[in-house]
Amino acid sequence: MESNSNKESSIKDILSPSPKFWGIRTEQWIKVFFFGNAWMSILILFLIAVFLFREGASFFSLRNGSHQLYRRAGLEFVEEFKLTQEHFTSIYRYLNEVRTNQINILREKGMSFQEAQEKCVEIEDYAYSFYDLSVRLGELTSELSDFVTTFRDQFLSNENLRDYQQTLVEAGKVEEAEAVQIDPVDFELIRTLLIEQREVYNETTTALVEDISSFRKTFPELPSGETQTIHSRFIQETDAFIASIPEHAKRLQEWDPDKPIGWSSSFTSFLFGRNWVTNSFWQDWYGFLPLLTGSLLVSAIALTIAIPVGVFAAIYVNQVAPSREQKIVKPCIEFISAVPSVVLGFFGIAVLSELLKTISGWPGLDWLPFFPITERLNAFTAGCLLALMAIPTIFTLAEDALDMVPRAHIEASYSMGATRLQTIIHIVLPSALSGIISAILLGFGRVIGETMVVLLCAGNRIIIPDISEGLGVMVEPVHTMTGIIAQEMGEVERGSIHYRALFVLGMFLFVISLTINGIAQRIVKRVKTTNL
Amino acid sequence: MTDPNPNRPIPETAVEVSSIDFYYGKTKALDDITLDIPKNQITSLIGPSGCGKTTFIRCLNRMNDLIEGAQLTRGTIRISGVDIYDKRVDVIELRKKVGMVFQKSNPFPMSIYENIAYGLRMQSIRKKTIIDEAVERSLRNAALWNEVKDRLHSNALGLSGGQQQRLCIARALAIEPTIMLMDEPCSALDPIATARVEELLFNLKENYTIVIVTHSMQQAARLSDHTAFFYLGKLEEFGDTSKLFMNPGNPQTEAYISGRFG
Repeated sequence: MESNSNKESSIKDILSPSPKFWGIRTEQWIKVFFFGNAWMSILILFLIAVFLFREGASFFSLRNGSHQLYRRAGLEFVEEFKLTQEHFTSIYRYLNEVRTNQINILREKGMSFQEAQEKCVEIEDYAYSFYDLSVRLGELTSELSDFVTTFRDQFLSNENLRDYQQTLVEAGKVEEAEAVQIDPVDFELIRTLLIEQREVYNETTTALVEDISSFRKTFPELPSGETQTIHSRFIQETDAFIASIPEHAKRLQEWDPDKPIGWSSSFTSFLFGRNWVTNSFWQDWYGFLPLLTGSLLVSAIALTIAIPVGVFAAIYVNQVAPSREQKIVKPCIEFISAVPSVVLGFFGIAVLSELLKTISGWPGLDWLPFFPITERLNAFTAGCLLALMAIPTIFTLAEDALDMVPRAHIEASYSMGATRLQTIIHIVLPSALSGIISAILLGFGRVIGETMVVLLCAGNRIIIPDISEGLGVMVEPVHTMTGIIAQEMGEVERGSIHYRALFVLGMFLFVISLTINGIAQRIVKRVKTTNL
Repeated sequence: MTDPNPNRPIPETAVEVSSIDFYYGKTKALDDITLDIPKNQITSLIGPSGCGKTTFIRCLNRMNDLIEGAQLTRGTIRISGVDIYDKRVDVIELRKKVGMVFQKSNPFPMSIYENIAYGLRMQSIRKKTIIDEAVERSLRNAALWNEVKDRLHSNALGLSGGQQQRLCIARALAIEPTIMLMDEPCSALDPIATARVEELLFNLKENYTIVIVTHSMQQAARLSDHTAFFYLGKLEEFGDTSKLFMNPGNPQTEAYISGRFG
């Protein structure tokens, strides 16, 4: 009887509805909870993307505005004067260099510094009098620079005043707002004044060219006896200078302050700009190239080290090492990724960079392409440390890929009398290749997104690495996309063009990492389907 | 299939196994196995799962060396008189003499041609004529030539299951072993494919000594000249297939072959 009634009640249980909270059943709640967790991360990723693009997008219009002002206020015009002046100065610097070299040569011959200096008086005087030729141009350039920057600054402060006025009006203080004095910039005046300077430029440079031509006919006798070659090099340099003048004159002639700036120019000047100059009294430039090339150079160095180390370590651990050794090596390599990057950076500054510099100075090592190292912090130091960070990523994923190689294939290979090495080369590696490639890609993603180490150890010089130095390019200081964001973001004014430029950098970084990860995932997926 | 004449000459021995013990770490997998495998005949190994059949045949080409902690602790295995566990033995050479076909067909993800050429290439044989000839001969021996001769360079994974297994046999034949070890070669095949493989093995025995592990009593009875019954790591009974199936000397054997356990 009793058991019968039990059965009945259990059947009734099926019919009774499960408890509800706010009209939703418990299982539904649980499902919603899990759903929320899964989609939360995707939502956050989406928000990051949206936010990055929103903050970054107005960079391009701001940059156009800034470039327009650069043109209207005449900075673009005066730039030609500056460039002429700079070119001239570079020749003067060459003469100075010649003098320093001469002194060094004499000192190597056993002369004292004093004596050597006396021997080089002639070339020293020659250099000075060469520089004096450009006094007129120099004065003109600095006058004009002052002139146009004054106008530019006035325009900018007017903008600020207008903003201030606006706030006052919004706050209801109309009288105070009307009291604000705004003295508008007279762009017409700039135009007329600058256009007159075209003639001045032509006159000044013609006179300068004549001076140079007569000046370079004589050249002092050099104590080292290389007078002939150095004189002809000097003539070449001055020739190049003279040849560049008509170009500047032409650009001065074409200058039109009201010519609109094309939209595309803000993109191209960002993507292909070779200068990243901020907080300059003259004009700020936001060029992507030096940072991109810096990032790529550092990553390339890191991967050159990390790929062989990571992949070969994975092959060794997975295919060769006995399991006791595996149990030691694997966690150790994986542990490297637990070291905070700032600690690695600190190690780089304090130990590695010093060590590399000292080693590079050893006699007998100077046959190596980039030894001795002149800059202590450089792309190579940062690359070495980044390699250390990429190795665990590459190692772990490559090891997983090797683990997925069917044991049956490996056994079949051995059973046919293949050696271990042959089996690894012909069976294991081809099978795991796509997995290894995706491991490398993910390692690349890790490296290019790394910030702390490059900020601390890459040297932070914003310049496109000079490939003409061959492998020596590796020891040049560089700056990176991540490093510059970390360095400058804390100091910029919110909403300014500089702030936006950093966001655009972030945007590019985001897209690059996303692409790398996407490709890696596709490759992994392909491996999984072919191995089944 | 079995020799009806009880007075036939005693066959030559290909593999002499004498009182071997084999361990995986601390677990004993084989216990005092002594067995002579006759030359150019088919010897089948039967027994329930986990009884040590596979371990036993993997001892014969030292595939167990690949497993960490696995070792032969006692006894000797001699192939043509040479102790294959001697330190001076080159395992690579041994495996060229003792070929193996696995339970699950495992062609490499390469072309049919490259699968068979693999063993030769690993011996640094480069000459195309030699490889071409070996590929054709092995495929003919494995009765696969007519089916694949027009698509030698297409991927081996495109073959059917039975064809893949015959390809694996051909691949093992290409390096010209004298002994062939087969670990349940038909377990994943349908009856038609099984029949073809059995026919093939029957033809191969003229030139090869074949040791086959099988779970199918019928297959062992149909195919083999000698049968060994393994149980819990021990060799319970070994003898002529006909005798072992008709008149088992051991109650365990009788229980197993009549399907009462296993």
